[in-house]
Amino acid sequence: MLPTISRGLHALGIISIMMFLLAPVILVFPISFSADAHVAWPPSAWSTRWYVALLHNEEMVTAFRNSLVIAGCVTALTLVVAMPAAVALTRWKFWGRDALTSLFTAPLLLPSIVLGLAILVIFAGYGLVGSWPGVIIGHLVITLPYALRVLITGLSTMPAFVEDAAGTLGADPWQVFRRITLPLMTPALVASAALAFIVSFDEVVISLFIAGTQLKLLPVSLYHYVESWTDPLVAAVSALLVLGTLGIVLIVERAIGFGKAVSK
Amino acid sequence: MYLEVESLEKRYGHFAPSVSDLSFSLGQGELLGLLGPSGCGKTTTLRMISGLVQATSGKIKVGGQDVTGLPTYRRNMGVMFQSYALFPHMTIAENVAFGLQMRKARHADIAKRVESALAMVHLSGVAERKPRELSGGQQQRVALARALVIEPDILLLDEPLSNLDAKLRDNMRGEIRDIQQRLRMTTVFVTHDQTEAMAICDRIIVMNRGKLEQIGTPHDIYENPATPMVAEFVGRINRLEGQWRNDGAVAVGDSLIRAKDDGGTGRVLIMIRPHRIDLSASDAKSAVSPEENAINGTIRHVTYVGDTFQYEVATTGGLLHVEKATSSATDPFQPGDTVTLRWKTRDTLTFSTEVAG
Repeated sequence: MLPTISRGLHALGIISIMMFLLAPVILVFPISFSADAHVAWPPSAWSTRWYVALLHNEEMVTAFRNSLVIAGCVTALTLVVAMPAAVALTRWKFWGRDALTSLFTAPLLLPSIVLGLAILVIFAGYGLVGSWPGVIIGHLVITLPYALRVLITGLSTMPAFVEDAAGTLGADPWQVFRRITLPLMTPALVASAALAFIVSFDEVVISLFIAGTQLKLLPVSLYHYVESWTDPLVAAVSALLVLGTLGIVLIVERAIGFGKAVSK
Repeated sequence: MYLEVESLEKRYGHFAPSVSDLSFSLGQGELLGLLGPSGCGKTTTLRMISGLVQATSGKIKVGGQDVTGLPTYRRNMGVMFQSYALFPHMTIAENVAFGLQMRKARHADIAKRVESALAMVHLSGVAERKPRELSGGQQQRVALARALVIEPDILLLDEPLSNLDAKLRDNMRGEIRDIQQRLRMTTVFVTHDQTEAMAICDRIIVMNRGKLEQIGTPHDIYENPATPMVAEFVGRINRLEGQWRNDGAVAVGDSLIRAKDDGGTGRVLIMIRPHRIDLSASDAKSAVSPEENAINGTIRHVTYVGDTFQYEVATTGGLLHVEKATSSATDPFQPGDTVTLRWKTRDTLTFSTEVAG
């Protein structure tokens, strides 16, 4: 009797926590199919009119495309910079290595509003505000520490001595990297790429400071839209974002699950 | 000499050197054991020979050629790691083939050599599996095959048996020795287990605190240890402190003990292996030959461990441990029994402590 009650309470507790966390995310979907002119619950009728409106909203479509391109560039650059850095910070022994690791991952701790302001002050002098390179560099400041963390963890949890073993079998350092290190760090690479993409695509504060008014980015446009409109268009955008993020998470899960299967 | 190591030294920062002043040489086809407690520098030495660690100073020559400055991948040495270090993302066949691919061997050739290497370690039929699908013992065989397939100049084994359970360890030990003999492979074998080293090595180096204590055959190391450290590291041993007398005997407490060496001055450490001492009831008075020591004592403590009784005997010279094989025919001594301990003078090792101090 008692165990049944406690188990029931336990389940109830878990369900309410899940609801608390996920309700807003789930709620976005029905609201996005509302036929009303304002966000209201429950919707008086159902339609896909806000998805159609979204497709015809030129600013949103442009912003969406810009954000995708920026996130893509940021992700690629993040990997190009973070991978050699992670290898150097885990595989080479040099003076001040730990200090450098802390320094490179420190921006994770800074409030992004401080970063945004600092970057704005610097970029204004070089005419980088409102430009594509400006936004990409600004985003890199945020994404690099994330990627570096994930890659360093991935590299330092690699099975012991496999790189040494490859060396004794006649592989030069480049062959060791290509045949051993790179395949074994693939899960970490996929994870950090996904993280960089999501963080860049999602970044509001830095983008608000640097993108200016000329370069439209989705989070910024969405932010401005909500300031002046209350219609369910934002719900439609949100629903698409949730689905997109879910897709990326699933890809990572597959990659890491796959990675675990491959390693010991 | 095939492998020559000359005054090898490794220092990290300002700490005491991990390895210093290490010199030895090794003939073609010889199996050398590097034996010592953990942290004695034996693994560092192995890594210097393989090139994974750069020597601070000294020389390493293989077949007369100086390889000290060569990177690992140019040295052609087969290394077997304690953790096996198999490549988890490759199949067993790919693991074994890796070294051959790096040497740009022909495709058909690689397949054939991988197959015969796996057959040599009795592991045919697992070629397409991944390392994680194999048991520890099987992974170890793969590691051995992978190290041998490249036909290395020297085979280096870093504590290869320490991750296996006891039964498997003895089998694998014998098998490594068999293969080594068959291929006449010059081999360096690192271990902290003296039985393991004694069982299969042609010669053994005992290391302590980065230095060579003694190099010799297993018999030498056991019967004629060069230092007290070696004597205590290879097997159990009693130690007594005494004083040399002018007549060549050693005064230990109230007793006189004659040793292998007869003569010396000052303080001396006496060492006797517990199983080389004979016990008899003390009333059985018999003549003491000049090749024998005999002193009286009282049994303090008896421990039964199946194949032997381990006695602690209080004697006029001090506390001595004695090991006797158990037998169904005779009754063991009991605590309180008075006994006579006899052992050969040639089993009595002496180490002068005057200089060492």
